[in-house]
This record gives sequence, structure tokens and C-alpha cells, in this order.
Amino acid sequence: MRHFRTLLAHELRTALLSGNTWASAALFLALMGGIHFFALLECSRAPQPWTPVEATFRLFWLPLLCVLPLLTMRSFAEERRSGTLSALLTTPASTAAIVWAKFLAAWLTWAVFWCAFLVFPWIVHARLGTGGDQRLSDPATLFGGLCFVLVSGLLHVALGILCSCLTRSSALAALLTFICLLGLTAIGGAMDSLPIESWSWLGWLREPAAHLRTFGHLQDFAGGILDSRPLVLYVTGMMLSLGLAVLAVEGQE
Amino acid sequence: MSDVAPQPEAAVAAERLTKRYGSLTAIEDLTFSVAPGEVVGFLGPNGAGKSTTMRILSGTMAGTSGCASIWGVSVALNPAEAKRHMAYMPENNPLPEDLRVEEYLRLRARLKDVDAGKVDARVNQVMEDCDLVRRASGRLIGQLSKGFRQRVGIADALLAQPKVVILDEPTIGLDPHQILGIRDLIRSLRGQMAVLISSHILHEVEQVCDKVVIINRGRLVAQGRTDDLRRELLPHAGFTVVTKASQAELAALCTAVEPAATVEDGVATDLGWTRYRVVLPAQSPARETLATTLLSAGLPLREIAEERYGLEDIFLAATRRTPAEGRRS
Repeated sequence: MRHFRTLLAHELRTALLSGNTWASAALFLALMGGIHFFALLECSRAPQPWTPVEATFRLFWLPLLCVLPLLTMRSFAEERRSGTLSALLTTPASTAAIVWAKFLAAWLTWAVFWCAFLVFPWIVHARLGTGGDQRLSDPATLFGGLCFVLVSGLLHVALGILCSCLTRSSALAALLTFICLLGLTAIGGAMDSLPIESWSWLGWLREPAAHLRTFGHLQDFAGGILDSRPLVLYVTGMMLSLGLAVLAVEGQE
Repeated sequence: MSDVAPQPEAAVAAERLTKRYGSLTAIEDLTFSVAPGEVVGFLGPNGAGKSTTMRILSGTMAGTSGCASIWGVSVALNPAEAKRHMAYMPENNPLPEDLRVEEYLRLRARLKDVDAGKVDARVNQVMEDCDLVRRASGRLIGQLSKGFRQRVGIADALLAQPKVVILDEPTIGLDPHQILGIRDLIRSLRGQMAVLISSHILHEVEQVCDKVVIINRGRLVAQGRTDDLRRELLPHAGFTVVTKASQAELAALCTAVEPAATVEDGVATDLGWTRYRVVLPAQSPARETLATTLLSAGLPLREIAEERYGLEDIFLAATRRTPAEGRRS
């Protein structure tokens, strides 16, 4: 545990001082700012069935695909390329402690990015909000959406860490992460939009599909419904990915 | 009851260590040991398997078969405990470029279980020992010269005062002054910790090490103290003799004192002088009397000198012989 704390502090410090983190943060905020701006614009033109915050969160996959791979790509790939991972493994710190420290540092950074995004709805509310009308920055939707991206982020960040363990090239790690996240989001979206219930020959898929409805999860969280099933899905997915990452690091070294 | 753990017979023990990559055998049946406090040179030509062996001993790579132990602890069965007794500096000494020397050493000290209250004292001590305090402590590692980076690697190895230090080519890329500094540092460790050091600079190894282990093509070909290996691997003593006598005259005089003596073909130098090489058995008493015999015979003699066999000669002789011969010896 002492090694884990030391490694986590080191990883957080490294993330704070890394140009890559700041570039990713700038890209993330530019992307989210743009999405939120256009959502506001749409709402100002005509009444919409959704609020600007809801619309922004529904596009969570855009920063997920564009920014998260940049955040996790260097965690192991760069250390393996430079050889510092071998040096780290000569200490009594376990491989699991190293993997978990890198994961948690990346996840916390991802969480900080999303928390920083909350500044946009707050500014909009402060400048344009009127009285008790909270449609511009509904705190419940904001809180629910944030919970969703943080909980699903456990799996997404863990996948990024796993991909970074598999190669010495940061660029390749980013590409692998992008493909994995794209696949995961696409499957989640497809489960939401395909009428599986009406296809009798796919009846066996109904139950598993219900667990993979990413956008359904977002809606549940934003609506204040706390369902344990997505929580279990994302946490077990995270544990599986990190377990594979530990095996990958130990196998390659 | 004492808290002090008993000292094992061997600080480092490799027993029938084998590593295979598919059909390629990197090391095979490697057996050697390093006693506590002993400084041992680990030698072999490029590709002999030195780094592979060191990586297995350090726990960063798993062997295919055999047993490696550090301070009596199996590296494969209890890697965390084995790593507590050991420090390893890999060949290219990878260091994070974006950390300052002092920050890096503090991080490593905490990861190596140095007591929280002693981290500052230990970091300052190793920086002092490795001459890093004045010119490098506050600098980014990425801005350091090769010499200073090597010193940072060695400082890191000494941080937790391990029982065993494994250094893979610690003097590579250093200038002569820096090599002298590292040599003195390693000498100062003798008796305090067991040091296994690989180097291509055989003169350095000879100066510093109590014992050498020589491997070739992944197999042990010789191990022991330099003097013992010299006797074992170089059973002949060579003399350089510069004289005006003919080869036959010289051979007659030499065989008179040692029947097994041989005189190799000479090389003419100048003004009728010729340089010959006389070879005697290493144990022959004629080694003591050859010079007086030649002088008392009235041989025109300008020079006679016994050749000194260094570690280089031992290394060449050892790497020429087969692994089977090495095992038998």
C-alpha cells in the first residue's frame, strides 16, 4: 500500500507537469465548450425536447474517443520504450501496484477534465440564467451525467491502460485505445437503437444487450436512477482490463 | 532472541539456470555463486548471456528452469523479498528524463522501503558518495552527461544499502577519471555488500574484483580467483628473449634447464639482434633460473622478461575452451 501511495503521488505529479496532459485538457475543454455552445444555440433557436446539458452529455463519446487515448497512451508504452519500466520493476513495488497507480492517476485526471467542464454550464447560468429556471444548467442532470462519465470512465481508462501495456509505441497505444473505445461505444449505441426485442431469433441476446446500453445508462444516471447493473458492468470490466494489464506487463518483462 | 537474520553462505546463487527463447538458448545450466561481501566480475563476449543472467537474478525476467536466489531468498518464489535485498543497475541505465536527481532518488528510496525518516539522510549520503551533490543534485536527469547518469544509477543502487548489488556495465561510456571514481566506489563496497559486476573493461574487473565468472554462449566456462584461473587456463610461462644467438643455440640452453622448454621462431629486430619467445611449463623451476643460465653461458643477451598474463589472457583462454571443459574444472 505504501508503494501504491508513492507511485500514485509520482504519477499525479508527472501528469501535472506533462505537456501532454495540458494539451489533452485544452483539446477536451475546446471540444466540450464547442459542443455545449452549439447545444445552447440550438435551444435558443427553437424549443427542444432536451436541455443543453443533456445534449452535451449525450455527445460524451466525442471527447472519449479524441482525448482519452491521448491521456493513457504514454502510461506504459513510453516507460517501456525508455526502459524505465524495467528499472521500476527492480524495486519491491508489485506490478499490480504500478498498474493501479497509473490507472488511478489517469482516471483522476479524466475526472478533473470533466469537473472543469462544469464551469461552462455555471458561466451560462450565471450570465443568462433567470430566477428559478434551471433548464440551462440543471444540477441533477449535471450531477447524473458526471456520475455516468466517471463510472463508465473506470472501464474506459482501464482499457486505455491495457492498450498502453501492449506496445512500446505511444501512437499505436492511442490507436488501439481509440479502436477499443469506438467498438465499445458503437456496441452500446447499437444495443440502444436496434429493435432487438422484435427479433425473435435474437431473443437470447435481449438480456445481455440490456446491460450494454451505454446511452441508456447515461439516461438513467441523468434521470437520477441509480441502477447497480451498469456499476457492476463498468467495475468488473475495469478489474478485468487491469488484471490483463498486470499479466501483460509481467509477461513482457 | 536476535532480530538479525543469519547470513547465508551465498549472497547470490544461480543453480542450473537456463533461459530459452523458443529454439534459442540464451543461457544453459549456469551455476555460480557470490559470497557475502565479495566483489565478482561477470565476464563474457557480446551475446554470451550476461545481461540475461543479470535480469533473471534481479527478478525482471523469469528463467526457463533452474533456481536463482538472492540472500537465500528464491527470486522466482518470493520476488518482492528478494528485491528488498538487492539492487540492480541495468546495462543502459534507463532514467526518467524529466525528474531532478534528488527527486528521483527520493522516489526510489521510498519504493525501496527506506525508512521514511531516513530517506533524506540516505539520499544525501549516496549523492555525497557518488559525487553528485555539487554539480548534479538539482539538475534534470535529461540534462546530465553520460558520466553523471551512470553515477545516478549507482547512487540509486546503493540507496537502500542492499545486501547484493548487480551492476551491468557500470563504467560504459565513462572517461578515465570517472572510471577511477567508480572503481574506488566499488572497492569501498567490498565487505559491506556482495557486488556482481559485468564489464568489457577487463583491466577494471581485474583491479576491483575478488573473483571472476566467465561465460561463453550461455554456458559457464570458468570461475574462480584470477590467480587460480591463471594457473588453470594458462599452464605455460612465456619469456621474451632478445639475443644474437641462433634459435638452435638458445633452444639447447633452455632444454638443458627444462626439457619441456620450447623456443618459437624469432623476429629479427636490429643489428643482428633477434627477439624469441621461450615457453616453459608454468610450474617449472627453470622460471627462476633461466636468466642466470643464459647469462652464465655467455649468451649475447640484451633483454629477458617474463610475460605477465592478465585477465585478458585468462578471458581469451577461457572463452576458447568448451563449456564441458569449464564444468570439469
